[in-house]
Amino acid sequence: MSALPDFKNRARAALADPVLKVAIDRTTGNAERKRAAAVAAFPEFEAARARGKAIKDHVTAHIDHYLEQFERNATARGAQVHWAADDAEARAIVTRICLAADAKLVTRAKSMLGEEIGLPHALADAGIERVETDLAEHIIQLAGEAPSHIIWPAMHRTREQVAELFKAGHQPPPAAEDPATMVQSARRVLRQKFLSADIGISGANFLVADTGATCTVTNEGNAELTTTPPRIHIVTAGIEKLVPSTAHAFALLRLLVRSATGGEMTQYTTFHAGPRRPGDADGPEEMHIVLVDNGRSRMLANEFREMLRCIRCGACMNHCVVYRQIGGHAYGGTYPGPMGSVLTPVLDGLAASRDLPNACTMNGRCAEVCPVGIPLPTLLRAWRRRSWREGLEPGSLRAGIGIWAQLARRPRLYRLATRIGLPLMRLFGKGGWIARLPLAGGWTAHRDLPRPAARSFMDQYRARQKGRK
Amino acid sequence: MTARTRILSAIRTALGPGKPPAQIAAEAAALLDPADIARPRLAAPSLPDAFAQKATALGTSIDRVASLADVPRAMARYLDAHGLPPRFAMQPAPDLAALDWQGLAPHPGLAPDEPAALGLALHGIAESGSLVIHSGPENPILMAFLPLHHVVLLREATLLPYLEDYAARLSAETVPRNAILITGPSGTTDIEGSYVRGAHGPGFLHVILIAEPG
Ligand code: SF4
Repeated sequence: MSALPDFKNRARAALADPVLKVAIDRTTGNAERKRAAAVAAFPEFEAARARGKAIKDHVTAHIDHYLEQFERNATARGAQVHWAADDAEARAIVTRICLAADAKLVTRAKSMLGEEIGLPHALADAGIERVETDLAEHIIQLAGEAPSHIIWPAMHRTREQVAELFKAGHQPPPAAEDPATMVQSARRVLRQKFLSADIGISGANFLVADTGATCTVTNEGNAELTTTPPRIHIVTAGIEKLVPSTAHAFALLRLLVRSATGGEMTQYTTFHAGPRRPGDADGPEEMHIVLVDNGRSRMLANEFREMLRCIRCGACMNHCVVYRQIGGHAYGGTYPGPMGSVLTPVLDGLAASRDLPNACTMNGRCAEVCPVGIPLPTLLRAWRRRSWREGLEPGSLRAGIGIWAQLARRPRLYRLATRIGLPLMRLFGKGGWIARLPLAGGWTAHRDLPRPAARSFMDQYRARQKGRK
Repeated sequence: MTARTRILSAIRTALGPGKPPAQIAAEAAALLDPADIARPRLAAPSLPDAFAQKATALGTSIDRVASLADVPRAMARYLDAHGLPPRFAMQPAPDLAALDWQGLAPHPGLAPDEPAALGLALHGIAESGSLVIHSGPENPILMAFLPLHHVVLLREATLLPYLEDYAARLSAETVPRNAILITGPSGTTDIEGSYVRGAHGPGFLHVILIAEPG
C-alpha cells in the first residue's frame, strides 16, 4: 500500500468527522491510561526498557548470523524457509504456495507485515477467498477498509457502525447491538471458516533463532484456530523480528504487552516450530516461513537504523497528538502515527510521503513512551532534512526559510523585524491564539498558533538585565 | 542471484565483517544477566499463591484440591456450577484416563462447538499466571481453543517462578511443534475498547490446582 500524496486532504476530512474523533478518543484514551498503570506497577520498567533496546541493537548488529541460524533450525524442524527481497517477491511466494496447494479458502490472523506487502490484494487477484479472523480485521474486511491502527485496526469504527456492518454481513445477523452479542455473532460466523480453510496465514512477533520457532501473540485465540486446522501454515515475517532465544523473546514481550494494551501478557503466546510431527494429534502438514526484507537491510546502512528496533506496540500513536486528531487512515500508509511517519518514506519513497514527517509537532511524547527507546522525533527530523536536501520542499517554503536565514545572520536587522512583526502578528490573535495568519496559511490551516508575547524574548531579556544593574 | 544471497550480501555490506558465533552467543547471554533487575516481582512469596493471584486477576477461576483423585469431584462441581451437562471432551492423557470418573462421561473427540474440555498443563508460571501446554500425540491443540469452557489441571510441583525459568526448561529438551502459554480466557477489546470474553477461544478458563505431587 502506498501513501497517497493528498495527506492534507485526508487530514482535513478526518478533522471534520466528529464520529471519528469520538472513536479514536475512546480507544487511545483507554490505552494511554492502561499503559500508565502497567508501567507504574512495574518499577523495573526502565531497566527492562534498556535491556529491550540492547537486545534489539544486538540482533540488528548480527542480523546475518541470526538469520542463518534461524533458517538452519527452522529447516531442521521441517519448516520451509523462503526469502523475499521486496513486497512483490513476498506476494509471489505466498500466492505460489496457495496456488500449488489448490487452495480455495485461506484464513488469516492479523499481521501488519501482510498488509505491508499487500497480501490481501494479491490473494484476491489469485482468486482465493480470504477470511480475516482477528475480530478487528473481520470488521474492516466487512467494511472494505484498511487497518487504522496496528493494535486495534478497527478503532476508527464506533459500536453503532460495527452493528451496521454485522447486520449486513452476518447470516443470521446478531440479535442485539451490544459488544458481547456482536462478538458471539462473529465467533459463530468465523468458526465455520477456521475448520474449512485450506491454508492459514499468520505473521510473527518474534523469530527465535536458537529454536527455529516463530512466536505469535494474540488475545483472542484466533491465531491458533487459524494455524492449527488447515493443511498448510504460512508465516510472513520481517527480518528484524529475530531474537537470539526464547528468553530474549520474553524480555521483549514484557515491554510489548504493557506498552500495547497495558496488560502483562497476552492471553495466548504461541511458538510454532515446524509442521505436524509423527503421532501429533493435530497441526498442519506443511509450514512455510517467508522472511521479508522490503527496505530493512537498507535501513541498516542509513540514519534510520534505530527504527529496526520497533516491536510494533502502537504506544507512539496512542500518545501522539496528531494521530489522536486525524486517526490512522489519514496517514495513507500501512503504518500510521509516529512510527509510520518514519517507516512510510522507507517503504513508499520520500517524494510520496514527505508530508508525514512534516506533520509532526515534535512534542516528544512518542519517544518518551517507546519501549525500545527509538528517538522518533530525531528520525522524523532526519526525513525533513533529506526532503530539504533532495529539493522536495515547495518553493514558497524554501523562499520563506531563505529570508529568515538571511535575517538570522544579521542580528540588528532580525531584532528590527521582530519588533515590527510581533505587534502585527498580535493583531490576528484572539484569546491567546491565532487561528489564521496571512502568508502562513500552510501552518494555520490545520492548527492554531499561540499569540506571541508583546515584546520579543531578546527585548524582555535586555530590559531585565538593565533592571538588575 | 537468489533473494537470499541479495539480502545477506546487502546486510553484510552495511554491517561489515561479523564476529565469531561463540562471541555473539556470549554477548546475547550477557544481555539477560542479571535477570532480576528487569522483571517484575512475584505477586506473593509462595508460587501457588503468586500464580493464583495473577491468574484470578485475569479472569481465570481456580479450585485448589489436595490430589489428582479429587479431580473428578472438582470437575463435577465446575460443570454443575455452570449448568453444563456431565459430558465433556478430555485430553487423551493416561493420567486422566486412569481416574475414576464416577457419574461423569469424558470423551476423546472434540466437536467444533464443544461446551467444555479438560486438559493438563505442563507448567504454570507464577510471574504471569500463565499455563503452558505443548502439542503432541497426547495433546490436540484445538482442545484448548474450540470449547467455551476450558478446564486445566495444574500440579503445584510444576509451577515455575518466571518466564525465563520456562525458557531454560525449553532449551534443555526437544523443541515442541507448538508451545503455548495461556494467560486467561480468550478476550477482545476490538469494539470501542470494551472487554468481551470468548472472542474465538474459551470464554471461561478454570484451573484445578493440585497440591500433591504425582
Ligand atoms: S516506534 Fe516504539 S512506540 Fe512506536 S510502535 Fe514501535 S516500539 Fe512501539
